[in-house]
Amino acid sequence: MEVSFALTGKDYVIVAADTTAARSIVKMKTDQDKIKILSPHLLMAYSGEPGDTLQFAEYVERNIRLYQIRNLYALSPSAAASWIRRSLAESLRSRNSYAVNLLVGGFDTTTQEPHLYWIDYLGTMTEIPFGAHGYGSYFALSLLDRYHDPDASLEEGLATLKRCIDEVSKRLVVSPDRYKVKVVDKDGVREVEL
Amino acid sequence: MEILSYLNACGGHRLLTRIPPSFDMSVPSVHLASGFDFSNQIRNNFLAERGIPLPKATSTGTTIVGCLFKDGIVLGADTRATEGDIVADKNCEKIHYITENIRCCGAGTAADTEFTTAMISSNMELHALWTGRKPRVVTAMTMLKQTLFKYQGQIGAALVLGGVDSAGPHLFTIHPHGSTDKLPFVTMGSGSLAAMAVFESGWKPNMDRAEALQLVKDAIFAGIFNDLGSGSNVDACIITATSTEMLRNVEMPNQRAEKENKYEFKRGTTAWKKEEVRSLITSEQVTLIGVGDESMDTS
Amino acid sequence: MEYNGGSVVAMVGKDCVAIACDLRLGNQALGVSSNFPKIFPITDRIYLGMSGLATDLETLRERFRFRVNMYTIKEEREIEPQTFAHLVSSTLYEHRFGPYFIEPVIAGLSKTPSGDLKPFIAAADLIGCLNFAKDFVVSGTASAKIYGLAEALWEPDLEPEDLFETISQTLMNAVDRDAFSGWGCLVHVLTKDKVITRTLKSRMD
Repeated sequence: MEVSFALTGKDYVIVAADTTAARSIVKMKTDQDKIKILSPHLLMAYSGEPGDTLQFAEYVERNIRLYQIRNLYALSPSAAASWIRRSLAESLRSRNSYAVNLLVGGFDTTTQEPHLYWIDYLGTMTEIPFGAHGYGSYFALSLLDRYHDPDASLEEGLATLKRCIDEVSKRLVVSPDRYKVKVVDKDGVREVEL
Repeated sequence: MEILSYLNACGGHRLLTRIPPSFDMSVPSVHLASGFDFSNQIRNNFLAERGIPLPKATSTGTTIVGCLFKDGIVLGADTRATEGDIVADKNCEKIHYITENIRCCGAGTAADTEFTTAMISSNMELHALWTGRKPRVVTAMTMLKQTLFKYQGQIGAALVLGGVDSAGPHLFTIHPHGSTDKLPFVTMGSGSLAAMAVFESGWKPNMDRAEALQLVKDAIFAGIFNDLGSGSNVDACIITATSTEMLRNVEMPNQRAEKENKYEFKRGTTAWKKEEVRSLITSEQVTLIGVGDESMDTS
Repeated sequence: MEYNGGSVVAMVGKDCVAIACDLRLGNQALGVSSNFPKIFPITDRIYLGMSGLATDLETLRERFRFRVNMYTIKEEREIEPQTFAHLVSSTLYEHRFGPYFIEPVIAGLSKTPSGDLKPFIAAADLIGCLNFAKDFVVSGTASAKIYGLAEALWEPDLEPEDLFETISQTLMNAVDRDAFSGWGCLVHVLTKDKVITRTLKSRMD
């Protein structure tokens, strides 16, 4: 079962996703990175139909990169999220649509503010302080309602994330055992070990 | 000629995005082709598979009637629009303008009756200008039936068309699949049975104006009070060779009883967390500089 | 309509109009966001509310923004509420055989030939059948409940502050009886010289 979380803090966004690649009931791989680094200040966690996910994530990655090469600056998180949403909504109107759910987290270097967007395969988009996709969301959202603090430091944010992961490990029947966690802030994107 | 072909292509409702040929923008997406857009269909089928069914459209579960009398035609309609089991509009207009001497009552899917009659009305006006003659009822009837037949019943419009032209008074019913009838008295919609019962018992040839109007009112009343898809008020339209009278709300048998008391809330009842006021008045402050002694010497 | 939930209502007052929506965005039973406004300014004096499928809400918002901008550029004037209502209607009817799952509600103040401003409200179904009401219009998962409350609570010629109370109480109480709407409410009151926007204190369940 795929699980991904993301939350914002004082001036950062944390994005976490499990690393399992499953096929039917079999775990094929436990070290897959499901968070793409789209630009120096933009992250995207993706989940959904296997195949569609990577295909779509790479399509987005290349297009965001192309924009940066052409214009010498990267799209802002809100602009990037809008473009990604539109791509999904348009894909849904084609015969072979991408069934991909996303969490797009970024740091807007012009306003020095973190942004997090929740996008589903229908092209539904909303900006949120914290969010999740997959079965994990049923546990994590209530937990984050209680523990999320928009002004928390990175350490506190990671501690909250740890709570989510632990809760899912404890209560979800088929919980993933490994996660990849990435952070984006004014210094850019980096991976952190929990 | 250009306008004619544009409108004939069934895109009368695209006026706002029409681009004159001289204003050729190189961006292709700016120009929108006319006609229906089916681009959402694949997605909607996909959504239906996932259990998101198509929501209900407004339909006019209706009573509409028409009847012939000595000098012309009387059309009648109720004014209720429904959306499933709720009344969406208590006083809508179901007698649509086609031309000055032709009107059309609509039942069925509300949007379809609205847009189909508007489209035909537009084409009738152009036809009248093109031919330089007063438009005929059969022309409108033919346009409507051809449109509806083309869409094989997918456009859910059931119509009563009436008018007076050079060939005399005419009254038609047009079904969603494109079939038509020409009769001296007709009814349509969910209340058609109730209304037809009234016509069958009361209609006679060569009625005068008052008799015919009363019969039409009675037929609509029968629909309003016996059919749950019809309700509220009676609209009527009397068309003769010399005049067209649109009688909006001629009868209002379902006026709401006046409220004895008001539910006005004391200001401050509703608690709110945040307020934002956007002023639409541009304020400017004028600071006078150099007035008085230091004014410019222009002598 | 029940997939994401949400409701919108608009009411006429004395020289003013109000439009209000809830703030929930759901994924069927799961609440995703409690800050998802469904009302957007089109011009200074037109506000458009939409309820239904959230993805179409965003798609149509982009579409209307584009078409209103094109209109403003070509006509060199702001669009009138009447005109905008027909723009919305024909955009939806164009998709008659593959509709957007959206029921729009429009509230605005339209210019009369004498230069005064007249309240205007309208709503449409998902294929663009317009409903010009003189009192109030509704849409969304709580629409049946809002109809009931508005029918009882609405009075003609309410002053802006009184209209705010009436529309707020109508929406909030209706939404409290609807599982798919709620999680906060947003109210706009448009008057001749200003737009008042308030976030209501409401139940969060």
